Amino acid sequence: MLRSFIVGLAAFALAGIFDSAAHAQTIKIAILGPMAFVQGENHWAGAEMARDEINKAGGVNVGGKPRQIELIRADTNEIQSVPDATNAVERVITRDRADFLIGGFRSEAVLAMQEVAMDHKKIFLGAGAAHSKLGQNVEDNYSRYKYWFRYTPTKDVDLARTLFAVMNSIAQQIRTELKTDTPKVALLAEKAVWTQALVGAAQKNLPAMKMEVVGLWQPSATATDVTAELSAIDRAGAHIVFTMLSGPVGIVVGRQMGERNMKAVAWGINVEGQKEEFWQAAAGKAQFVSTLDTYAEVEMTPRTVPFVRAFKERYKKMPTYTAATYDAIHMLKAVIEKENTLDAEKLVAAIEKIEHVGTGSIVTFDKRHDLVWAVGKTAGIAVQWQDGQKVPFWPPTVKGMKPFKLPAR
Amino acid sequence: MYWLRRAWAELRNEVFVLPSRTLAALWVAAVLLLPLVYGDAYVLRILTMTCIFAIFAASWDLLAGYTGQVNFGHALFFGAGAYTSALMSLKLGLSPWATVWAGAAVALFLGFVVGYLCLRLRGSYLSLATLAFPLIALGMLFAFPDFSGGELGISGLRRLVVTPMANYYVASLSMLVIVFGLWALADSKFGIVLHAIRDDEVAARASGINTMRYKLVVFAIAGAAAGFAGALFAHYLRVAGPSTLELALSFQVVIWGIFGGVATIYGPVAAVFILYPLTEWLGSFRAFGELRLLIFAIIVLLVLLFMPRGLTPWVRDKVETQCPRCKQRNSFFRKLCRLCSAALKAEVSGAQRLVGHQ
Repeated sequence: MLRSFIVGLAAFALAGIFDSAAHAQTIKIAILGPMAFVQGENHWAGAEMARDEINKAGGVNVGGKPRQIELIRADTNEIQSVPDATNAVERVITRDRADFLIGGFRSEAVLAMQEVAMDHKKIFLGAGAAHSKLGQNVEDNYSRYKYWFRYTPTKDVDLARTLFAVMNSIAQQIRTELKTDTPKVALLAEKAVWTQALVGAAQKNLPAMKMEVVGLWQPSATATDVTAELSAIDRAGAHIVFTMLSGPVGIVVGRQMGERNMKAVAWGINVEGQKEEFWQAAAGKAQFVSTLDTYAEVEMTPRTVPFVRAFKERYKKMPTYTAATYDAIHMLKAVIEKENTLDAEKLVAAIEKIEHVGTGSIVTFDKRHDLVWAVGKTAGIAVQWQDGQKVPFWPPTVKGMKPFKLPAR
Repeated sequence: MYWLRRAWAELRNEVFVLPSRTLAALWVAAVLLLPLVYGDAYVLRILTMTCIFAIFAASWDLLAGYTGQVNFGHALFFGAGAYTSALMSLKLGLSPWATVWAGAAVALFLGFVVGYLCLRLRGSYLSLATLAFPLIALGMLFAFPDFSGGELGISGLRRLVVTPMANYYVASLSMLVIVFGLWALADSKFGIVLHAIRDDEVAARASGINTMRYKLVVFAIAGAAAGFAGALFAHYLRVAGPSTLELALSFQVVIWGIFGGVATIYGPVAAVFILYPLTEWLGSFRAFGELRLLIFAIIVLLVLLFMPRGLTPWVRDKVETQCPRCKQRNSFFRKLCRLCSAALKAEVSGAQRLVGHQ
């Protein structure tokens, strides 16, 4: 009896040793995201693709020993609960022994998640939240927050820079084609907090860019009819409708602009317009609606087209910007192999110096560990709906871009 | 030695005589001793959040359970405490040890204001009116983003203490003091008056009780406790954001209250200690991860279906019986009342049972 007990105990101990040895062969990366939402789904999908590719190619070479990548899927539930998000980060660090963290989406939650990660000195590559405060923390208190890097998207201020850069390009086309010096712009922003700063920036910057702001219209994010707003925009003689829409009203705007045969062209943020189903949802009438986007089959970098095609083949849909977890993992692989270590201090220094060619951007980091904004590198792309197809048109220097079209007058 | 003997005698004669008190004593001991035997950082985080939400849930119960003023906007006080403490700590550079009290004080004041404005409302009208207040507060926050941090909230707050264990003890000791304080209040003459107000306010007023004053005081006390919890929450997470005022939090506390059993104080606390770690635990399984809220809802529905008065009153009725003569509670295994020696379970003959049915 005693002998079988001792044998059992020894077997148990050996199993534990082998188990921990097996774990030592892997690099654990926690993917943090709201997994019940499209943002989290793309976090995970991008990470899965990167893991499978890297592991198939032999893993990550650390000091001459190949290590497989092991992903930990952590549902942060951050859209509904900030404490849930911090709990998830604590769990993957202390329980699952994650070596690196990638993800996050809601800025308020990511700020709290950032605190937990920094408490444990874990490298956290942000892949979703845009608020400037996250990077400002690095500048204000480098020794604590240096483990944070924002891999995607560009910070909110740079997002506005992209919007105005594209706006300038469209305005230039209008000046040439319509022989007008001062294109008229109507601001159509849903009633939400996030649009306030953008509206203010537009009212300030557009006149300086030789454009006339003819008015501001603010429907609800869930409005089902915007006839009154579009009539007023028509009467104001606007050439461009600068959209700032994240809710379903984006579909209504697209459909009703088509139904009214409006001469103005829509440009800006239209989250619904980024989706593949948008054309059908807008009853095929959202001709010429344009919006910011991240991925298209254009050569933003040499890796963009193969990635987009592989993603579409595997998941039967286009990737969204949070699928940049794919790039973040590849960047980690590159710095780990270069430094031959998993030591966070050494890797932070290496990431600060890296120029990583990803699938949606060419990444370098500034002193706040934010992406350095540059057209053609990190500024993203702009797309326009043309005859049921989402056509990329900006930046024009990128191979594969097509012309931006204006409605016939 | 004398004090030890006396403490043991007190425990034996006052606590261990009833299963509910024994359970409460074991729970207190577990809350205080668990980190010493199991100091896992993740578990401490979950328990720290549990303690903070337990204060919040107990404060709601004092208001809704004891006076019947069912507040659907209790997050107002939680958020007010969080934001006040955060703003004072960050903008005035005050120690968080001082600002958490300021958070509670502002929430106390808001309790008076909300209580006063809702004084003439009862039942569902009161509940719907209270629902509006956190929404108004959210609107105010978004209207002044430079001051409030807008959608992002206020971040970079100092913690009250540094280590996970110290944070846990700050939260758990605060919780024990506040929960037992609210329990003592509810068990006092003051609590009896609150019961009277809830059961029949007109009769209570006819008996010479200034019901308005009592209702206002309860609103303020509940607000202060919730505000204190909010302030602890903000300094623990180092962020005070709009999520502290969201409707989801207001409804969450109602679920905790009803699940645990209203008008008990310990009921909602028990509910938080069961449901919060349970949902977190479910979330750690990939198979359940995204379904945890559905599982949570099913558990709550099942409990409410089979235990309509809530979990703790149901458990208490199972493990204790009430003496038919002196109304004191006794352990379920006793045959005679521990105080008056009356028979607790009368033998009922078949004929008597038949008469009873008729």
